[in-house]
Amino acid sequence: MSNAITNLRIKPAQKISGLSRGARILRNLTFIVPMTVMVILVLTAIFAPLLAPYDPTEGNMLERRARPVFMEGGSTKHLLGTDHLGRDILSRLIYGGRVSLSVSLLVIFITAAVGSTLGITAGYLGGRIEGFIMRVTDVALSFPGLLLAILLAVGIGPGFWTVVIALSMLGWAGYSRMIRGEALRLRDSDFVAQARIIGSSPLRIMIKHIFPNVVNSLVVIMTLAVGLMILAESTLSYLGIGIPAPISSWGSMVADGRNDLDRAWWISFFPGVAIGLVVLSGNFLGDWIRDKMDPRLRRL
Amino acid sequence: MVLVFLLLRASGDPTVLLRSPNMTEEQVVLLQHNLGLDRSYPEQFWIFIKDLAHGNLGASLLKPQTVSEMIGVALPNTLKLGIPSFFISMLLAFLLGVLAATQRDTIWDNGVKFLAVLGQALPGFWVAIMAMLIFYQNLGWLPAGGMATPAHYVLPVATEVFFLMPGMMRLVRSTMLDVLDSEYIKLARIKGLPERIVILKHALRNALITPLTTLGMLFAMIIGGAVVVEQIFNWPGMGRLAIEATYARDYPVVQAIVLVVSVIVLGVNLLVDITYAYVDPQIRYQKT
Repeated sequence: MSNAITNLRIKPAQKISGLSRGARILRNLTFIVPMTVMVILVLTAIFAPLLAPYDPTEGNMLERRARPVFMEGGSTKHLLGTDHLGRDILSRLIYGGRVSLSVSLLVIFITAAVGSTLGITAGYLGGRIEGFIMRVTDVALSFPGLLLAILLAVGIGPGFWTVVIALSMLGWAGYSRMIRGEALRLRDSDFVAQARIIGSSPLRIMIKHIFPNVVNSLVVIMTLAVGLMILAESTLSYLGIGIPAPISSWGSMVADGRNDLDRAWWISFFPGVAIGLVVLSGNFLGDWIRDKMDPRLRRL
Repeated sequence: MVLVFLLLRASGDPTVLLRSPNMTEEQVVLLQHNLGLDRSYPEQFWIFIKDLAHGNLGASLLKPQTVSEMIGVALPNTLKLGIPSFFISMLLAFLLGVLAATQRDTIWDNGVKFLAVLGQALPGFWVAIMAMLIFYQNLGWLPAGGMATPAHYVLPVATEVFFLMPGMMRLVRSTMLDVLDSEYIKLARIKGLPERIVILKHALRNALITPLTTLGMLFAMIIGGAVVVEQIFNWPGMGRLAIEATYARDYPVVQAIVLVVSVIVLGVNLLVDITYAYVDPQIRYQKT
């Protein structure tokens, strides 16, 4: 980002040779490791019934709060132990990944579609329409999403679609703000002017000329949103306004272990680690794709 | 506001939760009448608006208190948690952000980046629970729930800071790097000003602007954080009230909380806009 002149203390040699070898390896690692985590997540989500050693919703009361394998008294029967109802934590984690993944992917596609439509419209048409859309965007950006989710949960009851709707209702704002900026820049470009001269309608210009040129940024924001959405979903299910029991989701699993902290910390611990790992990977992957596709966005 | 109202009415009949098993059908109807639930929705909405104009937020369906009273108790508690968290987060974010930017690529910078990455990836509720496990359960240093002594503030505030700070810190770092890159900083250095003055007087003032614009969003995060943190640490504030009212379907309470918070959020955003114009004369609104 900076160059040698600006930060007077940077040694010139460093600049000329580009990244050092160690840095390059590190850079590749920041792609390989997160990618691996994501691939594992997707695969386990798809093949959950084959991979999970036990039924995630059925517990064995005789084996309540069994210790994970690496602790004293743990057994390989339950690798990560069991929860307060004797349900296998590993199996629940595997199934919980399904929920997190499907919710976040669905929300990301909905919000990206809505946000980019509004963003392009605002950026290209300008005027009052832009003013209105951007005002609404500002409100959506600064409104506490959790409260809206609570409202929805009271309104239509907790569940899969409640979470999807709650996250979608505010999530589009980030896209529309970003995409508007892009569209604004494209509006004054030569090829758009040309399209206008040959008589293309605004709708056609927006779809055929503006949209293909914002796809790069769109993909970057969408990837960066994966982590955010998984985090948001887990918070909702932690608070009990997400996917209702007995279906496992990572957030509700953390909540399950809250009363057992003194005797069975692992119930809360592992789902949290899973969330952290996946979100971390999502963020790193997003950064990586951003650097590859659109370095201008680096500051976001 | 209309949305708030409609969603809550759609949630089903709260009398289901209120009625006791040995109530007769007549008593149920009477109950519904007393709560105003037997009127049509437009009528209920009109009453809601009318009460609002009188500053009356309605009464809780389940507790013998008005909603205003409940919020009157809960709001100060949330502020007691939110305000210290906010200032500590800002202070730390600026300190560490500037530190990282000026000591670029050193151990400080990497440490800050690591903290930021971690803070943005780990779920706040999990961090809170783990903090509770370590400092309360295992070490016994700090109390876990309630708000009796200053020690009770440590864990909730720390958790809230942990998930408010990283985003801001990252932003401060990147704006600071941009500013340090600019022509006027070079000029200041060439003039031979001491580094301390260059950073504090020239760079920091200009690096303040971008983070300031996101303060409005930060405030929304505080509210979101409050819901989680208050619930975990048993803190009798707005967040916990909202969650409890949600479980109990006490919709006048939820309605009022969302309303009050919305008004506060709007107010804060207005304030941020004004501050923004004050700090950066370039965007001062033109007098016409």
